[in-house]
Amino acid sequence: MSTPEPVIVVEDLEVAYGDKVVLQGINFEVRAGEVFVILGGSGSGKTTLLRNLVGLMRPKSGRILIKGRDFTAMSPDERVEMRRKMGMCFQGSALLGSLSVADNVALPLREHTKLEESTIDIMTRIKLELVGLGGVEDYLPSELSGGMKKRAGVARAMAMDPEIIFYDEPSAGLDPIVAAGLDQLIRTMQSTFNLTSIVVTHEMESVKIIADTVCVLHKGKVVGIGTLDDLERSEHPYVRQFFARLPDDVSDADPAYARSLTGID
Amino acid sequence: MINVLGRLGRWALRQVAVALQVSVLMVDTIVWLVIAPLKGKGLRWRSAVEHMVEFGVRSLPIVGMICFLIGVIMALQASYTLDQFGANRYIADLVAVSALRELAPLMTAILIAGRCGSAITAEIGTMKVNEELDALQVMGVNPVKYLVAPKFLAMVIAVPAVTAIAMFIMIAGGWTSAVFVVGVEPVVYVSQTVGAIVEKDLVTGMIKSVFFGVAICWVGVYRGFQVEGGAEGVGKKTTASVVTSIFLIIIVDLVFTVLFYYL
Repeated sequence: MSTPEPVIVVEDLEVAYGDKVVLQGINFEVRAGEVFVILGGSGSGKTTLLRNLVGLMRPKSGRILIKGRDFTAMSPDERVEMRRKMGMCFQGSALLGSLSVADNVALPLREHTKLEESTIDIMTRIKLELVGLGGVEDYLPSELSGGMKKRAGVARAMAMDPEIIFYDEPSAGLDPIVAAGLDQLIRTMQSTFNLTSIVVTHEMESVKIIADTVCVLHKGKVVGIGTLDDLERSEHPYVRQFFARLPDDVSDADPAYARSLTGID
Repeated sequence: MINVLGRLGRWALRQVAVALQVSVLMVDTIVWLVIAPLKGKGLRWRSAVEHMVEFGVRSLPIVGMICFLIGVIMALQASYTLDQFGANRYIADLVAVSALRELAPLMTAILIAGRCGSAITAEIGTMKVNEELDALQVMGVNPVKYLVAPKFLAMVIAVPAVTAIAMFIMIAGGWTSAVFVVGVEPVVYVSQTVGAIVEKDLVTGMIKSVFFGVAICWVGVYRGFQVEGGAEGVGKKTTASVVTSIFLIIIVDLVFTVLFYYL
């Protein structure tokens, strides 16, 4: 990886729901082949940012350049073309409930390519093996555990051999062992395919394992960006608070007050 | 007063917004059903056929039973009046004409709306809640192409097809009670029926049922896309879907009946 090019460039992004601005002045670059983590608490706008990056939402202003081309200003056909190079794993895996695991993984191939059914079958098996899900091809998503669903989601995102992959809260709702397994999977995918990975999360533990670059979001703004070491030295109060896992200073969190409410004292 | 006007204005604006969304959906469906396949982007034929089986074949038992019973009831009710004039043989005319022009298309549409329109809403709504619609979009698969176009095609074929069978069954129901209860000669009933029906009755009934299919599908899909906020949202919109589509079916029925009255 000698001076990798930026694959995604976000310039002055501003996003609003109606009049309510949720993201403001977002600027960052994601270099090819790195794991870029968007870190933030609940309500920081991290999922909204991700939805903009994959084109599920349109920003109010600003640009998102993907491989040098403005993703926000593309025609629908160009956008579909661009999406073939992108894969996304959803928080709840979002596998189609009516299709088997294999059919879910095969769906993008069936829709976008004219490959023979036998070829698609082989490719599907390979992708499922890749994420450690050999042998569950014929199961329905509802028959899988949470961790397996997420792995199947990764397999589906990988179906078209994308260059960029997005993960929305990959370890949310999983036990530590399964979550660690997913962290490892994200790393394996990145190193095997030199895959540019964007991960939205709030789990510090997995950030420490997977991140090359971390971007900390707070109240719709980037409050820190850099490697983990950079951020650990950051002076920004929110970054320090997040990394030290300290609660907000809320006056009514006083234990004596809480006890008086419950009538224990 | 101003308050009332303001509310009326906001209500009107909301309706305009709904109308706009529905028309976008309609145009999208037509594009993906007619234009896109011509441009080689394909249509999911297998899914369309599967939906035809679901909307059509699987609706037949309940539609058939209800329509048979309505035929039986209609003949008995007709006899109540016609008997006074010794005109029981005209039961056949009455049953045949009302079945073809009105009741078979209407009953079929209402039953399919309850059975399948609600299912469409629930399916699409659940997919929306589970981010499956977003997933399709990110994969570059248009949800209208993938989900709506096959259902639409299936609906506009299945509803008229079931209606045609329902017409026949309803007349058979009328025959049953007229022959076994009222005592009309079986052959007379058949010849009366054949004599009463003109081509226009059949055609108007079938045209109506095509538009009933359109209404059921679009309401189901639109309500599905409207779902917000989890399982409760799915339930609410599924109920709304059935109510709206039955209402729309009646409106469409009225419009076409008035139209055919003057034609």
